[in-house]
Amino acid sequence: MSWQQQILRVNLSTGDCKIEPLNMEWAEDYLGQRGLGSKYLLEEMDPAADPLSAENKLIFATGPLTGTMASTGGRYSVITKGALTGAIACSNSGGKFGAELKYAGYDLLIIEGESENPVYLHIEDDKAELCDATEVWGKTVWQTEELLQQKYRDPLMRFASIGQAGENLCRFACVVNDMHRAAGRSGVGAVMGAKKIKTIAVRGTKGVTNANPAAFFKIVNEVNARMTDRDGMSRDGTIDMMDVTNRFGSLPTRNNRQVQFEGAEKMNAEAMHTPNANGHTNLVTNAACFGCTIGCGRICKIDPTHFSVKDKPEYHGASGGLEYETAYALGSAVGVDDIDAATYAGFLCNEYGMDPISLGGSIAAAMELFDIGAITEKETGGIKLEFGSAEALCTISELTAKGEGFGKDIALGSKRLAEKYGHPDLSMTVKGQEFAAYDGRSMQGMGLAYATSNRGACHLRADPYEHDFETTDIPGKAEIVKNSQDEVSFIDSSGLCLFPGGCGWTLDDYRTLVAAACDGEWSEERMQETGERIWNMERQFNLKAGLSKKDDTLPKRILEEPATSGTGKGLVCRLDEMLPEYYRLRGWDEEGVPTQDTLQRLGLLSTPVTP
Amino acid sequence: MTIQVTVKLFGALRQYLPAGSSFNSCELTTAADSMLEDVLGMIPIPEHKAYLVIINDEKINREDYTSTRVQESDEIVLLPPIKGG
Repeated sequence: MSWQQQILRVNLSTGDCKIEPLNMEWAEDYLGQRGLGSKYLLEEMDPAADPLSAENKLIFATGPLTGTMASTGGRYSVITKGALTGAIACSNSGGKFGAELKYAGYDLLIIEGESENPVYLHIEDDKAELCDATEVWGKTVWQTEELLQQKYRDPLMRFASIGQAGENLCRFACVVNDMHRAAGRSGVGAVMGAKKIKTIAVRGTKGVTNANPAAFFKIVNEVNARMTDRDGMSRDGTIDMMDVTNRFGSLPTRNNRQVQFEGAEKMNAEAMHTPNANGHTNLVTNAACFGCTIGCGRICKIDPTHFSVKDKPEYHGASGGLEYETAYALGSAVGVDDIDAATYAGFLCNEYGMDPISLGGSIAAAMELFDIGAITEKETGGIKLEFGSAEALCTISELTAKGEGFGKDIALGSKRLAEKYGHPDLSMTVKGQEFAAYDGRSMQGMGLAYATSNRGACHLRADPYEHDFETTDIPGKAEIVKNSQDEVSFIDSSGLCLFPGGCGWTLDDYRTLVAAACDGEWSEERMQETGERIWNMERQFNLKAGLSKKDDTLPKRILEEPATSGTGKGLVCRLDEMLPEYYRLRGWDEEGVPTQDTLQRLGLLSTPVTP
Repeated sequence: MTIQVTVKLFGALRQYLPAGSSFNSCELTTAADSMLEDVLGMIPIPEHKAYLVIINDEKINREDYTSTRVQESDEIVLLPPIKGG
């Protein structure tokens, strides 16, 4: 089987690093990565604990297929109580770090306690040690990787780091690995910063074993051959979605005041491919994570004459560019149609370790506060924080990255920011987490998916896309959201990426790969039940953390202000019609609490339901 | 008598644009009394590929393809299903 059957547990308070056997009963029930990491989190910590306290734990979790030859088998997740949300956080990343952690011999890395002084964790197979991080504390993610690469001189060593945003406890700080891949959401980087652990440097040489490699490779090749529709993703990346959502009328614009953006054509795949007036082309090439045969990543360059970088040659090289979510958050959400400005702000996110979705969402909320006069240049330090201002976007992104000036308010996230300035309704969040790039009025199912997502608003916790594309009618939405949440929970626990599902793979292809890797009987029913178990367990964590039905909702704007254009023109999100049906299908009571029957059916009775 | 319409294909549908098209659109010439279905028949999109049609910002339901008459200078937009990015 493809689990390593080992955990590395690191206690920052005592400095101990020890290897433990993986609980294989839990592995059978929760698979790996998201499911297994969340199980350990729920069992080992009090969900009511302050996310920035020593009581919180930080778990880096791989899946059984991480590090194998299955396409996209390079995923890992960071699981903790989110600094942004106070809910369970599970943030998923690609790159090469996850496979390297697996090759070092670990399914999970559990970090607990907190360090008195900044440290980093150095792992080489069975050897794990905490090291003084004085030389890299205060440095960017990019500087940290470069300095430690120079020290260890091993080009295959991989790093997962925080930048200054994590050190400064920016509520949406993320963990960046391989320079520009990130466990981006929910503030997992702030938890890492609170624990004073700067980076995890890992090198593994053990590979991943399997009981029957020949049979496994045969299945891998068969499944890979079914990924027949990937050329568009390779060529154009996720940013190709910009035109589609814009035309459909689900592209959140100016803090969701509108759902279509007149500047979308300056921020789309064509704009990325096409030379500008200076002859500069934004897109350099595409990039793939470990084992991926899609390669959706964008590697881009900013026009060196652009105002944001003309005096900063350090930003003239190629690095991780705009993906669709980044282009939305640093584009339409703030009304900016300057692809170089958005690319620059995106570079800052990778360099300083910030979630671009929450950065853009928080700046958008601040721009609306500025627009209605709730904040002025007095608060912003002289910045005209107007929708559409590329200069303001770049300046405020720099300040947030460095924890300076009004950037400290942006670093609170839009919920705390909007509350601070007396307009909580202007935060486009669920459970404190900013919306992704879809509006819940033209996409009713997405509205329900946002409202019920265990980690706060998220576009990757359910798959209502196709049904939303077909109709805004409510019947069927709750069932699609519920079932796809369970399916996604399973995939997120496997070590694989969700994107092959858009490139030709079916759910059965994922199931086939898991069955091949785990040497067990993984039927469709078991797959669905495993996903459902994981979803309900996450719900248990949130209930114990103090969340409840009141947190399964959407901002007033989405519930009461009709969409102004597009296919959903005139509609609000009819969440009140979908939520009761969703609870019923989940086997939860009217307050959104799993019933005893549901918990018993899923084997979750051992964990108390209520706080 | 013929008319000219603009057809725009977005996302993964772009691969079905006729040779010589711009990044995401082409101009098609069709009979003046053409229905939407006639124009769609000129684009070689496989039958199993789902898409949504918007003409001049109005969504057109599938059952109306045969009864919707296209007009000179119409912008016909074909969108593939939205997928998480």
